[in-house]
Amino acid sequence: MGIKGLYQVISDNAPDAIKSGDIKQHFGRKVAIDASMSIYQFLIAVRSEGQQLMSESGETTSHLMGMFYRTLRMIDNGIKPLYVFDGKPPTLKSGELAKRHARAAQARAGHEEAKETGTKEEMEKFARRTVRVTREQNEECRRLLKLMGIPYVEAPCEAEAQCAALAKAGSVYAAASEDMDTLCFEAPILLRHLTFSEQRKEPIQEIHLEKAMIGLGFTREQFIDLCILLGCDYCDTIPKVGPTTALKLIKEHKSIEKVLENLGDKYNVPEDWPYQDARELFLKPDVSDAKELDYKWEAPDVDGLVEFLVKEKGFNEDRVRSGAERLKKGLKTSTQARMQDFFKAIPKTKEELELQKKKNDEKAAEKKRKQKETDAKKKQAKKPKLGK
Amino acid sequence: MLEARLEQAAVLKKVVDAIKDLVQDCNFDCNDSGIQLQAMDNSHVALVAMHLKTDAFSPYRCDRNIALGINLASLQKVLRAAQNDDLLTLKAEDAPDVLNLVFESAENDRIAEYDIKLMDIDQEHLGIPDTEYAATVTMPSSEFQRICRDLNALSESVSIEAAKEGIKFSCQGDIGSGAVTLRQNNNVEKPDLSTIIELNEPVGLTFSLKYLVNFCKASSLSNTVKLSLSAEVPLLIEYKMESGYVRFYLAPKIGDDE
Repeated sequence: MGIKGLYQVISDNAPDAIKSGDIKQHFGRKVAIDASMSIYQFLIAVRSEGQQLMSESGETTSHLMGMFYRTLRMIDNGIKPLYVFDGKPPTLKSGELAKRHARAAQARAGHEEAKETGTKEEMEKFARRTVRVTREQNEECRRLLKLMGIPYVEAPCEAEAQCAALAKAGSVYAAASEDMDTLCFEAPILLRHLTFSEQRKEPIQEIHLEKAMIGLGFTREQFIDLCILLGCDYCDTIPKVGPTTALKLIKEHKSIEKVLENLGDKYNVPEDWPYQDARELFLKPDVSDAKELDYKWEAPDVDGLVEFLVKEKGFNEDRVRSGAERLKKGLKTSTQARMQDFFKAIPKTKEELELQKKKNDEKAAEKKRKQKETDAKKKQAKKPKLGK
Repeated sequence: MLEARLEQAAVLKKVVDAIKDLVQDCNFDCNDSGIQLQAMDNSHVALVAMHLKTDAFSPYRCDRNIALGINLASLQKVLRAAQNDDLLTLKAEDAPDVLNLVFESAENDRIAEYDIKLMDIDQEHLGIPDTEYAATVTMPSSEFQRICRDLNALSESVSIEAAKEGIKFSCQGDIGSGAVTLRQNNNVEKPDLSTIIELNEPVGLTFSLKYLVNFCKASSLSNTVKLSLSAEVPLLIEYKMESGYVRFYLAPKIGDDE
């Protein structure tokens, strides 16, 4: 899932690209959310005592619980969510999907075994890994959203790509996903942790693509090539090339083609490495034109919600009704404008930018030095133990 | 280097009190026109611009442009140690790590000296265009404070309407509604108590009361406050000081576009 280590690379090299703040700061903004991934998250995270929530008849309701309450949290904070569902996975992803399948099968086996012999923790761990989103669960979420008056669209292919396209076209302020590869699809702004539970108190991360690319000194193509080297969903990586090397290689050679030409014998490039196809997929993803998509935020269907959530799924009626009230209120309230809507930032002078870059580099160097020190200390602390 | 002396520490104390709830950290930009500050609150709904001109100080010396990145809560802590009538001197090197503050009491020969650690703040400045406002209203600052406080008890937002006859503040909340109107009046004996309206065209906008109440903390800076309104631009609220000002800009609330 996502791009391995990309967040770290950006935060080390372009700290200005990442802002974190309270969910409240995003009031009045429309956001495109990767629904399929959110549902998966809910199935994993919305649990009680390690078990998925279930209705009386034994059907899982974690996904609906998550969808309902976490969407409400956004509405309460003045955010207008637009959900995007996955379409067909791209053929290139089949390798990755097969791997995930295998892992799930393994986890199921592990789960069975843990049931017999393992501890409670082990059982929970494997139970989480066996989670897959079923078609029915996806359908139920669509039905719930419809009743809540929250719009959703179907992506022709990858949902992240469609979210990015919506943000790029200016239809929404940002794309919300945990997957960093949303940035590769050219989402100008990526929001992370938006669908997390309130109790986790995770600040919302806001990652700006433009600033990240400036900080790294990369063009979009170079940025994508970096991501492919770091490891994406669509092809393997070159063994032994980690974040540091990947960054260095692209900085030096500017493209994967050139990197391959200059790569020493030390590295074994995978045979038939489809990096060009992966790049193509990032550059020209299969998405619908954002302008042609039709979506609207509407008043919730209160009776429908009660019928579905309370009668069919055993939710508490009072809570569902109060939730519906919040939805109505959220739809009505006027939006607070921001200063940037009226006053434009004065662009920084060249000197200021250079000064800032210098400061960033200094900070990064300082951080590295400290990291080394602590590593060294850890090693030292370990030594006597090894001696025993 | 910077060296700037204020006759009365109270001036800086009041300025900091007025803005410290809106912004936590900000740069004080010192140059040959005086000390300036521009900052937005976290959600970028409001902006504060402060200018203490060189005349506010005697003497004032600033050889190079210096940005002093200051945590306002820390500055307030230190300023609490100053009496209102103390002479206050600000000093800083050209590329400073600290801001030095000296408080001298006129009555006894007490000299107190404090250093505040500075911080690196990466701030973006907004260009504020000169605007010809549809309506400009000058009124007693205490009156404005009272209106905001009273209406805040009822609602989150207030609609401000300026017309030829007067300015009307009204709100609607869960428990009911309220409205306060000030008619244009010119108090010859006490000009500070006048309400003066300069109108190009009638205008009405809605604003968040939470922010307005917050701005009113600047009321101690000046007896009068000036509100400038135009359709679809931020409200400007100005508190004038003897040689300088504190200005607040607040983005309006807009009805839904769909």
